[in-house]
Amino acid sequence: MNTNLKISNVTKIYPGCIANDNVSLEFSSGKIYALLGENGAGKSTLVKILSGVIIPDEGKIYLNENNLKLNSPLDAKKNDIGMVFQHFNLFETLSVFENLIIDSDEQRESLREKIDTTMRKYNFSIDLDIPVLNLSAGQKQKVEIIRCLIRSPKVLIMDEPTSVLTEQETSELFLSLKKFSEEGILIIYITHKLKEVMQLCDEVAVMRRGKLVSVSQIKNENIESLANKMVGQNLKTIKKKISKTSSDQLIKITNLNFTSEDPFETNLVDINFSVNRGECLGIAGISGNGQSELFQVLSGEIISEKRSIEFNNNYIGDLNPQDRREYLMAFSPEDRLEQAAIPQMAIFENVALNNFKSSNFFNNGLINENKIKEHSKKIISDFNVNTDNIELKSQFLSGGNLQKLIIGRELITSPDLLICFNPTWGLDVGAINYIHETLIKINEQNKSIILISTDTDELLKLSDKISVIHKGKLSKIMNAEEVTSEKLGILMGGGN
Amino acid sequence: MIVDINFIGLIIASIMASAVPLILASCGELITERSGVLNLGVEGMMIIGAISGFALMTVTGSLIIAVFGAMLAGVLISTIFAFLTQTLITNHVATGLALTIFGIGISAMIGKNFVGIPGKEFPVLFEGLKDTMPLISPILFGHSIVFYFAFALPFITSYFLKKTKIGLIVRAVGDSPESASNQGINVRLVRYACILYGGAMCGLAGAYLSMIYTPQWIENMTGGRGWIALALVVFSTWNPIKILIGAMIFGGLTIIQFHMQAIGVRIPVQFLTALPYIVTIIVLVVISRDSRKIRLSTPSSLGKSFHKDN
Repeated sequence: MNTNLKISNVTKIYPGCIANDNVSLEFSSGKIYALLGENGAGKSTLVKILSGVIIPDEGKIYLNENNLKLNSPLDAKKNDIGMVFQHFNLFETLSVFENLIIDSDEQRESLREKIDTTMRKYNFSIDLDIPVLNLSAGQKQKVEIIRCLIRSPKVLIMDEPTSVLTEQETSELFLSLKKFSEEGILIIYITHKLKEVMQLCDEVAVMRRGKLVSVSQIKNENIESLANKMVGQNLKTIKKKISKTSSDQLIKITNLNFTSEDPFETNLVDINFSVNRGECLGIAGISGNGQSELFQVLSGEIISEKRSIEFNNNYIGDLNPQDRREYLMAFSPEDRLEQAAIPQMAIFENVALNNFKSSNFFNNGLINENKIKEHSKKIISDFNVNTDNIELKSQFLSGGNLQKLIIGRELITSPDLLICFNPTWGLDVGAINYIHETLIKINEQNKSIILISTDTDELLKLSDKISVIHKGKLSKIMNAEEVTSEKLGILMGGGN
Repeated sequence: MIVDINFIGLIIASIMASAVPLILASCGELITERSGVLNLGVEGMMIIGAISGFALMTVTGSLIIAVFGAMLAGVLISTIFAFLTQTLITNHVATGLALTIFGIGISAMIGKNFVGIPGKEFPVLFEGLKDTMPLISPILFGHSIVFYFAFALPFITSYFLKKTKIGLIVRAVGDSPESASNQGINVRLVRYACILYGGAMCGLAGAYLSMIYTPQWIENMTGGRGWIALALVVFSTWNPIKILIGAMIFGGLTIIQFHMQAIGVRIPVQFLTALPYIVTIIVLVVISRDSRKIRLSTPSSLGKSFHKDN
């Protein structure tokens, strides 16, 4: 049976932003469609409209010529539209089975049988009776997919499904999606990763700033052409400098351990590594394997044994972030709006938070506003932050601009070591390029970087040496030239 | 001194009786909190239940009308809370505190005309069996229907949460209202229902105090039991069976310290009075040490407003 889904002139306006501007698209079953766009391009809004979470201001949706009224997620479900959200819609404290039965009208036994059949058919294996919070991200996604499949959907929408998966899990997912497509399910795949579009999809629709900019066959496209359509301008490609060998050791971590009292944090076990001047050490891993704890231990948010961290020939394991900064370390945490900056405070106030003894931001306990503002203006112009209002609250900066501000704030004091955690997470291609260029520049100035990231491509592009963190343990440190993304994927999954 | 074995039975029965209002209010509040709503108005809802029950009994003469009227009064006052926190999205903590202050004030006002009026005798069940077995009979028989209901309630609540579809939905809403809403569950409706149910149970707890436990109206007669009930919910880590244990320990120590004061034990009265609070909390903290289980039974969205945006 053929399924035909038509989006006709859909518009959704939020105050100050047109999320979807008169979008029309048509899909039919048997193919896998990509919906491509940067963050904020409006693709998530569009699929939320398809799944009934958001009600459009204008426009109609047709499924097999029937005009659908999608006023709630329930309506989408009734019309056989299944959606797997980017942020999982699961109940962490309920068991897998409870998660699946909650929106099902079936009896326990018959549902269990149906789930078992579905899992066997697609080679999924998940314990139905453990709480969801014990599952890995890949398993959670499978639960979401099973939830859709047991309702025999006509349409399956996947919103950025690979952002939390390993390489292996991603290829498994792609195999399953191809199988679903062969069985006649219409698949819409939302992503900003070009490689995946080329690998998986048959047709691609590109969105930019709420508008549909192109619809084309994959066979007529390549990564560069899609990138240019997505960004709307030609992008230059960045290359890492050829690394020079340096033996001047800057930081050395020795037998660092961290045992958390929170059972849902990861313990760090026997971390040992060192970074030389001018080097970038990349730390790969699937999120939740101890990266956040490692960052906190390195930055001093979590204090450890004094002698476990040696920086510039000083033992600093017991110092807090402020004191570590005085030794010329700098930090860019993962959560830009919660950890790195205070959303309700102005740009210049956020700059002042990074207070050094030498910065003279305060005189006898009073704020030296002129000095801070001068300093902030310098950061904004040096680091390309797209605003001229330093009194703007930092929550109103876009992710890219905020990240530039934070990196700028950290780098303007020319630290010896920058530790950053997912510095380009959720940014658009332009901002990512800028951050990458900046990081490469730091290395060229003989300064060092520890880059903790879940983005393998980023790590391969920027690092001189790479290690993988898995369940709180670091793998041996490898030279970046010897590493491939496949190899990283195996290590990230706990293999050898 | 000869200790009559029936006397021990009577002491245990009186401990259980004093635990009844705590169990009722806690089990009600537990359902409310499991849906993610923190209602600090338990004390206020209880005292409203107490005055409503007593007033209706005096005015109508009907115990049935009085008991159900008290529950209805609890529902009505909790509707105010539900409307404010769920429809107008006010802060749970501030609204709950206001509810308690409001309840205490309005009950004192209504109660003025009922001070000093004697209560009515509440019928008890199985009175004939009271002398059949030593020790056990006084514990098991000769209590009001509310008493039996209260001791069944933790088990019913536990079954409801674990085994029924609606219980599952309540837990799901408390765990993640966003996910629940995306699954097509009407979060606001579920939370309204849970708040109103909590109100009914608190109303019943209040009615038990003014109609059965000490059948009379005294201003502020709940005497902080609402706060204890709230604490029981948290320290029991949202587990109805542990609420039962906690309420029994609290009730038990309250009764025993009265007897100790009466005998004239040389311990400062203030310490004895504080004892039940301290011991109950210590015991519940000790039996709820498993952090994995805490994580699994704590409603993650507790006290957070849910606002569905379009």
